[in-house]
Amino acid sequence: MTTALTQGLERIPDQIGYLVISEDGVLASSGELENDEHTAGVIMQMVRTACRFRLHGAAEPPFKRMSVIFEDYVYAVTISGQKVFVVKRQNNQREPVNV
Amino acid sequence: MEATLEQHLDDTMKNPAIVGVLCTDAQGHNLGCRGSLSDEHGGVVSVLAKQAASLTKDLTDSPTVCLESDSGNVLVRTHGTITVAVHKIVS
Repeated sequence: MTTALTQGLERIPDQIGYLVISEDGVLASSGELENDEHTAGVIMQMVRTACRFRLHGAAEPPFKRMSVIFEDYVYAVTISGQKVFVVKRQNNQREPVNV
Repeated sequence: MEATLEQHLDDTMKNPAIVGVLCTDAQGHNLGCRGSLSDEHGGVVSVLAKQAASLTKDLTDSPTVCLESDSGNVLVRTHGTITVAVHKIVS
């Protein structure tokens, strides 16, 4: 069950860790996010907050994906089948080219 | 001071890809907004920025939160005591 849940996450390029969370708690974790209950808790709070964000005339849900971008890494968060999938990826930002 | 902020908001809206902009303080009070973002979004925007900041112990690394949907991307980032949200249409 856990393998089927996470096999897609393992293959994401630049992935350095992931979490699969349900309302009951963490279902799976790996890499830098292994057993990271703090990050799981904060991300769940953010998902609940973001779900209350409504633009006029916008169709539900309010977001397809939430990214939290830091200098060196990004948390990419999606919801599927009552589960929250969080992937921590390296942020390979390219410097803007000045011409 | 308000005039400068209002001018910045107007200038931001001149970008054709941007359909909404909002500035809020840490309490979610609206300091100024344009377009699709209004008073009602201030609370969610400031809370989201605060929650994102608690994901790191590095106080100098200020995160950007991006909510991606069919109606475009909403980008949220804190600068000092002010949190700015920009609603951008994906071209």
